[in-house]
Amino acid sequence: MLAAALLLLSFSSPAVPDAPGQSFASIAKAADQAREADHLSDAADLYSKAVSLRPSWTDGWWWLASILYEQDRFREAQAPFKRFIALSPKPAPAYAFLGLCEYETQDYSAARHHFELWSKGGSPGNDALMDVAAFHWALLLTRAGRFNEALVLLVAKVQKLGTSPALTEAIGLASLRMAFLPEDYPPEKREAVWLAGMAAYYCLAKDFPRSDAFAERLVQHYGQEPNIHYFRGTLLRFQERFDPAAEEFQKELRVSPHHGPALTEWAVSRVEAFRPAEALAPARSAVEYDPDSARAHYILGRALLETRSYQESAHELEIAKRLAPESSRIRFALSSAYKHLGRQQDSQREQAAFLALKDKDYVLAPLEEKLKPPKATGRPQ
Amino acid sequence: MTTPKILLVMACLWILVVPAVAGQESRAPAAQKPATVSAPSSDFAALSEAAGKAREENRDGDAVRLYRQALQIQPAWKQGLWFLGILLYDKEQYPEVRDLMRRFVAVEPEAGAGWALLGMSEFQTREYPRALDHLQHARTLALGERKEMAETLFYDVSVLLTRFEKYDDAMALLIGMRKSGSSAALLAEAIGLAALRYPLLPAEIPPDRKEMFRMAGQAALADEAQQQDEAEKLLLSLTNDYPNEPGVHFLYGVFLLNVRPSDGVKELERELQVYPFNLAAKLRLADEYLKEQKLDDAQRLADEVVKVEPDNASGFLILGETLLAKGDQKRGIEALETSRKLRPATVRTHWDLLRAYTSAGRAEDAKREKDEIEKLRRPDAQ
Repeated sequence: MLAAALLLLSFSSPAVPDAPGQSFASIAKAADQAREADHLSDAADLYSKAVSLRPSWTDGWWWLASILYEQDRFREAQAPFKRFIALSPKPAPAYAFLGLCEYETQDYSAARHHFELWSKGGSPGNDALMDVAAFHWALLLTRAGRFNEALVLLVAKVQKLGTSPALTEAIGLASLRMAFLPEDYPPEKREAVWLAGMAAYYCLAKDFPRSDAFAERLVQHYGQEPNIHYFRGTLLRFQERFDPAAEEFQKELRVSPHHGPALTEWAVSRVEAFRPAEALAPARSAVEYDPDSARAHYILGRALLETRSYQESAHELEIAKRLAPESSRIRFALSSAYKHLGRQQDSQREQAAFLALKDKDYVLAPLEEKLKPPKATGRPQ
Repeated sequence: MTTPKILLVMACLWILVVPAVAGQESRAPAAQKPATVSAPSSDFAALSEAAGKAREENRDGDAVRLYRQALQIQPAWKQGLWFLGILLYDKEQYPEVRDLMRRFVAVEPEAGAGWALLGMSEFQTREYPRALDHLQHARTLALGERKEMAETLFYDVSVLLTRFEKYDDAMALLIGMRKSGSSAALLAEAIGLAALRYPLLPAEIPPDRKEMFRMAGQAALADEAQQQDEAEKLLLSLTNDYPNEPGVHFLYGVFLLNVRPSDGVKELERELQVYPFNLAAKLRLADEYLKEQKLDDAQRLADEVVKVEPDNASGFLILGETLLAKGDQKRGIEALETSRKLRPATVRTHWDLLRAYTSAGRAEDAKREKDEIEKLRRPDAQ
């Protein structure tokens, strides 16, 4: 599928200038012919020769990189992708391919950096590239412990394509907060990861009985291990079964007493059950254990807002906004807090940001892009 | 699973793998030489010869060093890529073998053993989707009659198929391996996993249920060997020891359907109490209900299956047969036609359609089904 993506990508590379000598032109032509005839190894050799004769030949670097990528020769493909990126006026899709190569050669921080550059460029590419790159980026986010961001990407993929064994495994790892890649987590955890992935998938598909069946098997066999009750709680909260969810988060805290996300989600489940006063204690503990968690500050801010402690609420929500400026729900709550404090201008600003950001949680784009007002599509006034 | 013995066999395959390179060690085509390398070809000739000699004299460390040096000069040297791969696989340096074999199959795409070694390395580095693709590809290429290598290949493919939830394909392959002489001890856990439908590798079995999978596998093997008393004894122990594990009652139920069908039905019903989402159990039960003329129950279960899995050909087959038995000719034919579309090579579906079309007076359609059945029954049919 990705091979097709490579071939279908269209780049506006500058036209190849006239060859100074016959050799470049003839080699480049032979390279194209070999590629079109599917003689990929010959084509790679010829492109390699051609770009060494003319290092400014953007298309040559692209095809050389593409062929090496297609042949799973990821280490060798990186240099030509980098040369292409340096030369091309629109290199963004190549960032994704470079990231994929770096993933395969275990240069994970570089891979994540290039996926981020790809995202900042608006995540260009066709569906196949989007799917593969977003999937691998999600795996790296999981490995880096950024589980929620990984799940955002994975959930978007599930909603678009349904599930697959690989996707189930990736969701299982992120759901159980296991900072591993599919190829390096302990084999004895495989069943737990699979059960969690299946439970999460069916929950997303709103097939709750089936989700519960997998989740119960997970709890039955692995309930004494960290993150299992936490995960079960998140599934129940998704089903809006807030009281059983709160019980699961408390069970998690008995297994892992300093589990910041369990404290946070316990507080969330109390706010969502319209009992914000009960959320205050776990939310305060959550920000204590996890001071860099935007969600913990947000839910404390929400609980304070709904218990009418507006000043303190605004303070917590401002911290949350600083930590997660792209979150629409934080902006909405902050707008409300400011309004209660009589700060109309600030409230309106946050309200505008909320309107610009809402429904864009799953959009891969820079914050500035997301904050832009939508383009007018109607008739000019 | 993979042993040095197998690697010896693979090393002997060299002549089959790359026949064209014999005697060419010192004269790789200039086109394969990178522009940046300027080492004289005599260096390469000397290195490659020394590497081969070191390998033949079992000085593996020297051979590895010399092959690496020679490959620095000629990166696409097929024989060097292959032998260095073999030597490093023996030293369990799987990521490097994988990278070498990727280069090797790029220049020698028809080399089945190259794809096999690539897939086996990827299996070890736990790149399972890629390993399965490459091992399957190796199966399509010539491997000769090397039994041990084929056994490794088939075993790795079958356990990966299970991990990717292709349980029936995995089971067929494993049973085929047993019939070809693979040992029961080697296959038991892998068969147990496929039979109980758990997408795990044998190495991933939770320690507290290792015995469960082993017993399930042994029971399936005993049944396959027509040792029904032994199979039932094992299955009974399995259901007693693990009564609440999904798949266990299903396995016993399927066995009993061939021995005491009414007990089999009860066991399948027990499976659905333990695990109400076992679609395979629902299908088998629907089939039995159909035989017993419990048509409403059969239709309910078949409906549930195709609702959850709209691409389940067997589900539509049972649904179609049930609807026809209830006299609903139009919907029965529709369901069977869906089944045929999903899985065209099932003779039973074509027989059902032949009878249904005949009964509906659709002679031309019936004739087409008859022709299809004859085609499928020809010895060369897949």
